[in-house]
Amino acid sequence: MAQQTDSEKIVLTTCPHDCGGRCVLKVHVQNGVIREIETDDGADPQLRACCRGRSYRQHVYSENRLQTPLKRVGKRGEGKFEPISWAEALDTVAEKLTHVKNTYGNESILYLAYSGNTGTFLHNQLSVFRLLTLFGGFTPIWGSCSFWGSLFNSETTYGTVNAGHTSDDIPNARFIIMWGWNPAETVQRTTTAWNLAKAKEQGVKIVAVDPRFTDSAAAFATQWIPIRPGTDTAMLIAMAHVMITENLHDQKFLDSHTVGFGAFKDYVLGASDGLPKTPQWAAAITGVEAATIASLARQYATIKPAKLLTLGAPGRTAFGEQFHRAASTLAAMTGNVGIYGGEPAAFNLPAVGLQPLAGTGLISRQLSGNLPEGARQRPAIHITKVWDAILDGKKAGISSDIKFVYVTNSNAVNQFLNSNKASRALQEPEFVVVHEQVMTATARHADIVLPVNTHFERNDIIRPWQGGPYYIYMNKIIEPLYESKSDLEICCELAPRLGIEGYSDSTEDEWLRLFWKEAEKFTDSKPLPDYETFKAEGVHKIPLEKPAIAFVKQRENIAENPFSTPSGKIEIYSQKLEERATPGLPPLPTYIPAWEGIDDELAKKYPLQFISTHSKRRIHSNMHNNPWLRDLEPHTVWINTADAGRRSIKNGDMVKVFNDRGTVLVAAKVTGRIMPDKDGIDRGGCANTLLKDACSPAGAFCGNTCLVQIEKEIQTAQTV
Amino acid sequence: MQIGFYFDQSRCTGCYACVVACRDKHDIQDTHVSWRRLIETETGAYPGVQLSYLSLSCCHCAEPACAGACPVEAIEKRTEDGIMTVDRQSCLGGDACGACKDACPYHVPQFSTGGDDKMQMCTLCRDRLEQGKKPACVDACPLYALDAGPLEELQKKYGAVKAVKGFAASPKTKPSIIFKPRY
Repeated sequence: MAQQTDSEKIVLTTCPHDCGGRCVLKVHVQNGVIREIETDDGADPQLRACCRGRSYRQHVYSENRLQTPLKRVGKRGEGKFEPISWAEALDTVAEKLTHVKNTYGNESILYLAYSGNTGTFLHNQLSVFRLLTLFGGFTPIWGSCSFWGSLFNSETTYGTVNAGHTSDDIPNARFIIMWGWNPAETVQRTTTAWNLAKAKEQGVKIVAVDPRFTDSAAAFATQWIPIRPGTDTAMLIAMAHVMITENLHDQKFLDSHTVGFGAFKDYVLGASDGLPKTPQWAAAITGVEAATIASLARQYATIKPAKLLTLGAPGRTAFGEQFHRAASTLAAMTGNVGIYGGEPAAFNLPAVGLQPLAGTGLISRQLSGNLPEGARQRPAIHITKVWDAILDGKKAGISSDIKFVYVTNSNAVNQFLNSNKASRALQEPEFVVVHEQVMTATARHADIVLPVNTHFERNDIIRPWQGGPYYIYMNKIIEPLYESKSDLEICCELAPRLGIEGYSDSTEDEWLRLFWKEAEKFTDSKPLPDYETFKAEGVHKIPLEKPAIAFVKQRENIAENPFSTPSGKIEIYSQKLEERATPGLPPLPTYIPAWEGIDDELAKKYPLQFISTHSKRRIHSNMHNNPWLRDLEPHTVWINTADAGRRSIKNGDMVKVFNDRGTVLVAAKVTGRIMPDKDGIDRGGCANTLLKDACSPAGAFCGNTCLVQIEKEIQTAQTV
Repeated sequence: MQIGFYFDQSRCTGCYACVVACRDKHDIQDTHVSWRRLIETETGAYPGVQLSYLSLSCCHCAEPACAGACPVEAIEKRTEDGIMTVDRQSCLGGDACGACKDACPYHVPQFSTGGDDKMQMCTLCRDRLEQGKKPACVDACPLYALDAGPLEELQKKYGAVKAVKGFAASPKTKPSIIFKPRY
């Protein structure tokens, strides 16, 4: 933080968004007004911000900011509100919460919170989590929109989610496969794209497997392999077939470090089910030529070390966890585990710095307090079943009807599957309260909306949610605008109204000092600077002599350093899954055809596969309406040139994207960058109107399993 | 001495950080105006498509067509560093004139639609250069795909490729920009 003059200063912060990055923002403030935002100009590797963080002052000062508490005046969902005082708003919320608790019990309170603030120590969904816990409990949600399939696989196969390598290990690889992985747009850690550029310039061969020719594929890959959504597992298994039949796999590593390869081999070769999983078999399913599959298998098996890089997209499908299981198995078959330049192909979280999950546990224990006598954690509702749970209550098999919905850090109506059902569901509860910065689709369904401030208007500490060797102090830039408050402040005022004592005995600064002290226990490298130094510096980068990579000890000596699995080894065959015997969750990586896939009956009516990707000029639905971002590119559905031609659709035409669940009107981007019979809308732009609220057997969020039809919108045909 | 730009198209992922950094630094609120633009070029047909981006502001040409076309001589080229400047007081405005935009082979000159429609364009962040810093766009790029400085030094460091997909070097205006192509 450099003090230039009394009226002008530069203050360091970052963004707490659910992107994959955590970049430096150096904010120029003049006479209490934000004038400009710069980025990291310090030592390498610089944490340079994207267009989203750099547009943030437009969001802070947006005329769309909610200024006061709002009370619904029209019908729920209409979006008609009147301003009310904080006193009235908080009194009402407390009164309704108390009434619902006394009449129906705590489990009738649903807390719907998600990733609006991700990776922060203090200001996030845990504020209300603590409040409702001290109030006697509530029904939570569980699951991840982003990567549940990957988490499930990582725990099953390797016994941990810390299976990642820091991004500076990327140039150590000699061969890289980016499988449904697009870091140039999604920012899979701030320095990943830069490391890929370095690798490419050093001559590392990079292949992109993806239904779209993404910006990452265009910038880094020398080969693009288009693949049908939801079929990735078949291709991986066929690659295993090639490795096995040509004896390219690392049998020595498989013998010493894994269990179950023999059973997997039987499955792949067709000994167990009579169906050999050859490249020809996979070609018919995936749309990828057999020769291409075989060639990729040979390269991945023989060029060492190699990275098979994934995060979540191919796993966000029906049976999506099988994709991740197969990917990890191939990484083990090629011996790319526990070595520099390799990649276990499981959950990409390196074990360095404060572990997000451990940290969350610590902080939630601190912040949630001990559960009162008699209170228990209610069974949680999966994120794909929230609307059914609200509509059907006990009939849906949950323990209570939902009478109160409390929403923070989430635009669930827009972001969870099946938006039309969401809107119907939210008619049912007696009361809905939403904390928000702007009027979102979800906030429109509230009875009371409470205006929350942005992270520029409060202090916090953060680390990259994907792990990473640094922390950032999120210095408060300006005072909160209008009447906005933080989630924490709101809870401090609700607590006495709910008869809760001791909700927070600390100031914001005291909480942060406590958490910073605690963080050192979880930081397994050099000591952290003291709080004052850290706050002044703004960024603390943990010096690493070498990249932090996973499973080095296990690789070197598995007898003394077993994996945290039941067998102590990498579980290609999972005994746990065999015992669970859940349909759709076999103990071996298995190709299971998707519902609503290309072979579904429904494809006769809705012949286009629909995927929802991530926009580079938005974070989910965050800042969709920030004009500096919105006006960079129009919001579109991508449609293949041939598919568009058959429908007389030209670039820029307004089209209807529809199925039985809903219709979306949007402009068309006609392009050769997407496979035929596919189309895609960036997530955060109403794609969920079309999506089915289903999850895979392990809980993966099926954002990329959907069939639609597209037609030109005749009445309003106009060029954007 | 001519200050110019270097753009590494092979690294550019089309992320828009440079576009927004420029807008933010110069506080350009009208989103119809963009001193730095990102232009996407897709060629070929599925599956053999090619995609590249061009990040472009003003090329501060050696022989700028805009200056020549301006009827009131509002556009000048500084002798010390070749940076283009606009006298917005004398400028007649986009509605009344706009000759500079028609003359420029790259459509660089911009006019706001909301109120002040005097010509505006890239200043090569003269104030930052004076402080020994690079222009805002250069320091913004997460892929380090942009550079700026004396053109001769850029050419020594990066070579002398004058054209890439989406950009043809005008032999008439002689733009002060060099490239590394993607294809």
